[in-house]
Amino acid sequence: MNNHPQSVLFTRSGDQIEIHLNREERSLTKQLAQHLRALLEQDSHPHLRRLYPTAYPDNTKRDAEYINLVHNDLRETRLKAVNTVETTSENNILQPDELDHWITVISSLRLIIGTQLDVSETEQVDPERPNSMEYSIFLWLGLFLENAVEVSSSFLINN
Amino acid sequence: MTPQPAAPELPKIDIDLYENTERDEDKEQPWIVVVWNDPINLMSYVVLVFQKLFGYNYQKAKQLMLDVHHKGRAVVSSGSREKSELDVLRLHEYGLWATMEQNR
Repeated sequence: MNNHPQSVLFTRSGDQIEIHLNREERSLTKQLAQHLRALLEQDSHPHLRRLYPTAYPDNTKRDAEYINLVHNDLRETRLKAVNTVETTSENNILQPDELDHWITVISSLRLIIGTQLDVSETEQVDPERPNSMEYSIFLWLGLFLENAVEVSSSFLINN
Repeated sequence: MTPQPAAPELPKIDIDLYENTERDEDKEQPWIVVVWNDPINLMSYVVLVFQKLFGYNYQKAKQLMLDVHHKGRAVVSSGSREKSELDVLRLHEYGLWATMEQNR
């Protein structure tokens, strides 16, 4: 697992969440959400493999049954979250359930891009590395997620 | 008209074919849900997911996350096959790398 420094892209304000993204960050968020939607709708892209993990590694028959049963659920949950991000990306305020949808989208994108880049836990930032654009986006999504998680955690009653 | 063909001999169904999966599993033994370490999910995110899904307090959720991180895997819940499969599905919805196995 990865550990990233804090940033301030979201803050809690009473029962709601304030978004502090600039115009470029909002535009990038929207583009990335659309990218995720396109991949999910296409449904067969190899980059999606990390979103549909194995449940029964020792039993291929059971695993095939599991994937048949849940594949659409897993896809629909993420499409619903993408929908929330697309419709709220220009907002200044989010509700806690909307923030959770943002978290689902950011986390799914990190899984897809991270798998694609084959990142490791101890990776250092290397500006010379190939795919440095994707890598920069991956790091930015990490900051984004860290901050969103911190704010979402503050709403937990068992914290 | 074609004459009525003779009734074909019914094939012998290999019952074992359908019971193989069950036979290897002991219905009395509980299933365990295992979360595996992965290089992508953030530590704080994994703690949040454990708290949300299982209602664990922060300390318990953090300890489980650290077990996953340091030991490579941790058992996060146990119970019937149906309950475990639901837990695995919910973990997969959050993008965690979860599998299930029978505790022998």
